[in-house]
Amino acid sequence: MVSIVASGLIKIDRYYEFSEKDLVIEAYKDLMLKIKDVPSSVDAMIVSSTYSDILSKNLMLAFKLSNKLGVKSPISFRVENGDNGGASILTAYSLVKSGIANSVLLVGVDKFSDYPSKYINDVVSYNLDNEYQYQLGLTPHVYAALLMKRYMKKYKKEYDYFTNWPLKMHENAVENPYAYLKFKVDKKVITDSQLISEPLRLFDIAARADGASVVLITSDDMAKKFTDTPVKIESIFSSNLPIDIANANLNSIKDVSRKAINKISKEAIYEIHDSYSILASLEIESLGLAEEGKALDELENLKVNLGGGLKARGYPGSATAIYQLAELYLQLTGAHPKAMSGPEKGILLSCDDLGNSSYLISLSR
Amino acid sequence: MKISPSQSWRLKDTLYVLSLGKCKRCGNVFYPYQPLCSVCGSMDIEKIRSKGTGTLIEYTILYQNRDGFEKQVPITAGLIKLDEGIELVAPLTDVEITELKEGVRVEAVLRKVRSDSSNGIIQYGLKFRVINDAGNN
Ligand SMILES: [Zn+2]
Repeated sequence: MVSIVASGLIKIDRYYEFSEKDLVIEAYKDLMLKIKDVPSSVDAMIVSSTYSDILSKNLMLAFKLSNKLGVKSPISFRVENGDNGGASILTAYSLVKSGIANSVLLVGVDKFSDYPSKYINDVVSYNLDNEYQYQLGLTPHVYAALLMKRYMKKYKKEYDYFTNWPLKMHENAVENPYAYLKFKVDKKVITDSQLISEPLRLFDIAARADGASVVLITSDDMAKKFTDTPVKIESIFSSNLPIDIANANLNSIKDVSRKAINKISKEAIYEIHDSYSILASLEIESLGLAEEGKALDELENLKVNLGGGLKARGYPGSATAIYQLAELYLQLTGAHPKAMSGPEKGILLSCDDLGNSSYLISLSR
Repeated sequence: MKISPSQSWRLKDTLYVLSLGKCKRCGNVFYPYQPLCSVCGSMDIEKIRSKGTGTLIEYTILYQNRDGFEKQVPITAGLIKLDEGIELVAPLTDVEITELKEGVRVEAVLRKVRSDSSNGIIQYGLKFRVINDAGNN
């Protein structure tokens, strides 16, 4: 079995004075303060980072970090999978599960604030098909907007429906010390916000910023050395299927939810990849937590993105999934500054920004 | 902005014409063309040229700047179903927003996409416009 035994994270923010390495050091310091016994070495370091090579001219990042942190590791590499950090969680889990490693330090880091947004928009568009769509000037926001319009037609929704998501996420982020946007918003702020790709507005989009999060994952035998309250990674399901924009379907998320059907329950707490409000709605419905066309009307009954989601906790590229994992771990052990009482199960749904590739990770304490 | 001449040239089948692949074994028609069917694995693929006509399913107007495309904002983009059955997201051009409705007929036209400020390469590409029944040009 595979367990999470410690986590460390920093507030997501714009850190002009910090590099990726500096951010990871801060997150690792947080882990060292909380762990029973600081490891002098681990068997592997896996780095989840999508944009560090393009935005920071930084290759061999995992090797560099493993030396700088003073955590010796014979295995170190970076996993790039678009904005879907779930792939790096699967990698860390697989190494322990297979017996190749007894301990893996999983590091998530990405940094958006060093460049103006028009350049970042170009780089995130590398996620699109690069034989046509990228070349013609499109961005992922176009896809999200088209998906949103198809959903509105399919379920006869007005824009108002989507405002429920940022309202709830900003509310959830208020007391989360790791959150980037720790303030409530009212509906008018959302409906008046900048139009990005009609009908998609600024508040329908995840808040890009800088962040680093680390999670120590070990075999069960080793877990007690580091903590008295390990959290088990029970299983990981995955799926790669293109989205169906015309019919507003996230095929991959539906597929991964079907595979994980026995893990999904209303009692669990959830972290989902709300890159856009429309994605949040479709993900919740695909998971079966709400009826189709109704997810954002039923948020009061759901325990989803308690820390504020990508929308308000913030969105540091593929460090996001490692934040989600760390926050679920803190919630399940009762150590989160904003912990709910008593959840025993956690589900992490990680996907790329448009939901083509997905991982569903189930946790239990 | 740096446009690689060889990359740009290599994309001639997707940017200047819509070259489709048609699998001779399973009948799958796909875009962009490649010499392998992703459905059945066959390598017996015919390269055919799309007629470039199709139907608009949905559209949006993008107001966000992307490096190299600042002068084109706002960009109107549509989800289009080509007559060969392929769905693709593509920029629209020469549009009156009022005529953009689900089911309207569109056709591909070659347009300038962007230019390279450092060595003067101009990249062209196919965009889509509404077919105007009244005239043909
Ligand atoms: Zn075939």
